[in-house]
Amino acid sequence: MEKSKELHHYLIGLALAAVLTVIPFTLVATVGGKASYVGLIFCAILQLIVHLRFFLHLSFKGQQKEDLQLVLFTGFILFLMIGGTIWVLGNLYTRM
Amino acid sequence: MSASTRQSLHPGLNLGAEHGDDHLEAETSVFGFWVFMMSDMVTFGMFFAVFATTLPLACCPGPTELFDLGSIAWQTSFLLLSSMTSGMAVLTMKQEHGGRSACIKKLVFWLLLTVLLGCGFLYREISDFIFMATAGGPPTRSGYLSALWSLVGLHGLHVTGGILWCLVIVVGVMVRGVDLRWKLALLRWAVFWHFLDVVWIFIFSFVFLGGLL
Repeated sequence: MEKSKELHHYLIGLALAAVLTVIPFTLVATVGGKASYVGLIFCAILQLIVHLRFFLHLSFKGQQKEDLQLVLFTGFILFLMIGGTIWVLGNLYTRM
Repeated sequence: MSASTRQSLHPGLNLGAEHGDDHLEAETSVFGFWVFMMSDMVTFGMFFAVFATTLPLACCPGPTELFDLGSIAWQTSFLLLSSMTSGMAVLTMKQEHGGRSACIKKLVFWLLLTVLLGCGFLYREISDFIFMATAGGPPTRSGYLSALWSLVGLHGLHVTGGILWCLVIVVGVMVRGVDLRWKLALLRWAVFWHFLDVVWIFIFSFVFLGGLL
């Protein structure tokens, strides 16, 4: 791949990540409130995707699929374990 | 299948066909490191799960007394920029494999800049830890604080490890040049370093910012 194209890729990633970092900080510093939590989750997931796409160069095509499948499977395991823990203990908490 | 017919073997942190056999060699070793990295993510995930099930108690100082938004913003910036400079180090290695000494100088520059930013991050983080300990929030105070210290501390230990690893690579390329061994080390370290920033996204979003909401 050409030099400048690869550099561009990193710069786009940096810019997107910076924006997605500034938004949650401003939300907490100025808006606040429990409703901002949705914004936090949204920005965090978007920034995760930006990092995987632009810094770690995962994509849906070519050989890179194997790594993407590995990441998605790990994501699934994490979802089950973290989600399950929060579900079970959250349920207990509301019964206390 | 020859190296030149296969463009991209694994995610972008690869060498490129112009590196010949080194490119093929990198495939298994970097993919293997990805597998390790994913298991590390599961470890972090469990620390997050434990943290999510604890609540700040009324007995002890909570997020508003313990967290400093400005310091978290500094740490986030340091880590994001260091992720960028580590990417620049990988790009330098990929693209300037021809001119040896010029490449090594540039590579060492980006790596040392990454180390510097990493140290800036650690400095702010350790200052915060010291503040928390003196402000009545040491890890022994409550379950919430134990979970907080272990999660953030585990990440801090990873960053420390990443910095030491980076310094080893700097010495390696200066002594031995950018040969296959150090190319592979640099690729794996870059995967490691990028993932530390990924974990930090969730720490600053849910532990610090979420705690302050």
